[in-house]
Amino acid sequence: MITFEDVTKRFPDGTVAVDHLDLEIPTGRTTVLVGPSGCGKTTSLRMINRMVELTSGTVAIDGDDVRTREPAVLRRSIGYVIQQAGLFPHRTVLDNIATVPFLLGWDKRKARERAGELMELVGLEPGQARRYPHQLSGGQQQRVGVARALAADPPVLLMDEPFSAVDPVVRASLQEELIRLQDELQKTIVFVTHDIEEAVKIGDAIAVFRPGGRLAQFDVPERLLAEPVDEFVEGFIGYDRGVRRLSFFPARTLSLRSDVVVDAGTSAEKARSVARDAAEPWLLVVDPDKRPLGWVSAETLEGAAGDRELGSLALVGYGHIFVVATDSLRAALDASVLSPAGRAIGVDTDGTVVGVVSQADLGAAIWSAGDAAVPVGGRD
Amino acid sequence: MNVVLWILEWFGRPEQWTGTSGIPARFLEHVLYSGLALLLSAAIAVPVGLVTGHTGRGGFLAATLANFARALPTIGVLMLVVLVLGIGLAPVMAALVALAVPPILVNTYEGVRGVDPQLRDAAEGMGMRGREVLLRLETPIALPLILVGLRTAAIQVVSTATIAAFVGLGGLGRFIVDGRARQDFPMILGGSLLVVLLALIVIVLFALLRRVLVARGLRRRAAAPI
Amino acid sequence: MTEAPPVDWGWIQRQLDGVIADRLLEHLYLSFPPILLGLLVALPLGIASARWRPVYPPVLSGANMLYAIPSIALFYLLAPYTGLTPWTAIIPLALYTLAILVPNVVDGLNQVPDHVRQAAAAMGFGPLRRLLQVELPAAIPVVAAGLRVASVATISMVSVASVVGLGGLGQLILTEGFQRQFPTPIIAGILLSVLLAFLTDGALVLLQRWLTPWTRGRRAEAGRASRRARASSAPAREEEAVP
Ligand SMILES: Nc1ncnc2c1ncn2[C@@H]1O[C@H](COP(=O)(O)OP(=O)(O)OP(=O)(O)O)[C@@H](O)[C@H]1O
Ligand SMILES: [Mg+2]
Repeated sequence: MITFEDVTKRFPDGTVAVDHLDLEIPTGRTTVLVGPSGCGKTTSLRMINRMVELTSGTVAIDGDDVRTREPAVLRRSIGYVIQQAGLFPHRTVLDNIATVPFLLGWDKRKARERAGELMELVGLEPGQARRYPHQLSGGQQQRVGVARALAADPPVLLMDEPFSAVDPVVRASLQEELIRLQDELQKTIVFVTHDIEEAVKIGDAIAVFRPGGRLAQFDVPERLLAEPVDEFVEGFIGYDRGVRRLSFFPARTLSLRSDVVVDAGTSAEKARSVARDAAEPWLLVVDPDKRPLGWVSAETLEGAAGDRELGSLALVGYGHIFVVATDSLRAALDASVLSPAGRAIGVDTDGTVVGVVSQADLGAAIWSAGDAAVPVGGRD
Repeated sequence: MNVVLWILEWFGRPEQWTGTSGIPARFLEHVLYSGLALLLSAAIAVPVGLVTGHTGRGGFLAATLANFARALPTIGVLMLVVLVLGIGLAPVMAALVALAVPPILVNTYEGVRGVDPQLRDAAEGMGMRGREVLLRLETPIALPLILVGLRTAAIQVVSTATIAAFVGLGGLGRFIVDGRARQDFPMILGGSLLVVLLALIVIVLFALLRRVLVARGLRRRAAAPI
Repeated sequence: MTEAPPVDWGWIQRQLDGVIADRLLEHLYLSFPPILLGLLVALPLGIASARWRPVYPPVLSGANMLYAIPSIALFYLLAPYTGLTPWTAIIPLALYTLAILVPNVVDGLNQVPDHVRQAAAAMGFGPLRRLLQVELPAAIPVVAAGLRVASVATISMVSVASVVGLGGLGQLILTEGFQRQFPTPIIAGILLSVLLAFLTDGALVLLQRWLTPWTRGRRAEAGRASRRARASSAPAREEEAVP
């Protein structure tokens, strides 16, 4: 656990970057510091490895005041990743990763072996080991940066906007990768970003800073989105926080209708009565393997010859689907909004249709989710 | 006035190629003076440049010093030291070192200063101490520029080491000074050509040194033509 | 020599209007023409090198080769043709400045970012107008930085001209000082030469500020620009030496 106890940082020019900060960063989890520019996130982060010396208060790692440790020794036990990766241009990828093991005086071969393992861990090709940083893409450089921070297997990892200099697609994949890595490694990660989306995606806990270096709210992402403590936090996390919050409610709580799902071999005559019984304007047509083929409207059915099979009619494209077992309410809502029939198709993990849910039924589910203060878990 | 024939005639004289006043002996002397002056200058300027660049302190002082040394008239330094210490190697070295220190010092300083602050931040963040940052990060990155400074200094030293002949020493300057005294034009020309040849050798040597010493990651573009 | 004080102030006082003033004036006459001439030659060479890339390597190599020829040799070799006229010193010294000035002119012209160049072209600037109104003004800080180095180097090198009897502070050092084994003129000659170099350097700084009012508010940036031109970005640019 990393604890900030009444920590203040005043720079020599008088700027108060961090103001009486109290924070407990849990071991083995990812804690994200977010807030607008200049609110003291970087400063707080850098007080942990003494890149910035605090003015008053205490920062401790597992109860040990960081000021009792020599900065260089302390830093070798803490991974550090910065925005542009900060890779050494004169060293190969492999030797960049082995920097801290070299500093710690490891045997060269052992250090490089370890670096090779880390390349695999962060998803780099072994063929890139002998390359120089300028021969890598921005995303690959950032992977090297993460591998370098992990090289000496430090329990703590500090990351200052590590993914903000790469394009959104690469950023998303780097975030996924970090979540996967963290599941495996369970490091104490302190992650700075000014992107609330990123914070919600990767954080187990989020600390929102307000200008002037004060902590506004410290919570799990679900509660932060449900119950922002004040207008500043509410404004910062954005007006679509309600929709974003649905990410934390699992879709498996939805009740799906399977009575409006019909086989492609069904006759129009039979389908008409199904639609009438269900009082639904749309039926979902599936193939013999129960995979979706498309929508057919009650209107179309009325005009069709009674003995025609549904598979021979012109179907409306089925649009988006969601996986009932693993997706969230947000994914279901997305699928329903994007569906031409205004209904979301829920499938099993193997792609077979479970049922459909209309926007009206979704609305009711979202309504009751709003009542639950803390959701039941799961995210997209 | 066929310059080429003159020079060929001069280089063709058999006495040029043997003895203590022959071309090989003078060339070797010139190389020794220049090499010694360059070594002395590098021993002064490289450490000072590295340390001032690393700490960021004393940079202004170093730049002023370099500017002062650059402004010193070589002949004046040479003659003054001769008056004080007498004829010998010392005045020549004093004059040449004053000439060679500024480019080495300035380039070394700028090379270290030019290291991206983000890299320095990353290095410190990983737990490098000041000395490690200097030796493992700043020096290798500044090396291409340090070599440029050394090369500039070397070319100036090679060209100016001719002044050794003024205070009775050897080197290629002998051909120039003696040629002047004897009104032997081909001799002055020949001596000058030999100096230029040595400068060319210096340029080639530094190109090779760059190849050997500078990390491939820092050599994105091809070496500049010369 | 040992019992005499190192500097004879009386001699300096007596000669201030005499030989010292004469030599200083000669020094001025010998150092400014080569600097100006060098700039006049370096500008077209640099502009041509910036415009037609293939021109640059041979021009630069040529300038560097000239730089390697010992000045004394050049003076001796020219003397039979130009005699005891200032040209014997001016021509070699002007040639030496090229090795410093040409790369600076090229780098200065390259200071203009590509998008500015394209914007100028889009607004209907022809090549010549663009050169005069966009590229050359942007080049001034970098060219001025090169000119400062070239001036200091030239002023200190003029002393060598005295070995062919052309006068200047070198003459003070050699004739009044060394030949009479009298240190005072040597020290005076050195210090005056350094002083002249520093004053010229300062004057060029002022001139540059006056010519480029837009860099005044951003001194740090202008400094960075000229520093870049002198030194950094250099891992890739080997020719950017600081002579
Ligand atoms: N070395 C310094 N000297 C003086 N003031 C500083 C220094 N470093 C940071 N500050 C100031 O402290 C405040 C907090 O800076 P900090 O870098 O921690 O912000 P941040 O939250 O990381 O912002 P950003 O999102 O822009 O990176 C800012 O007002 C900044 O200007
Ligand atoms: Mg920051």
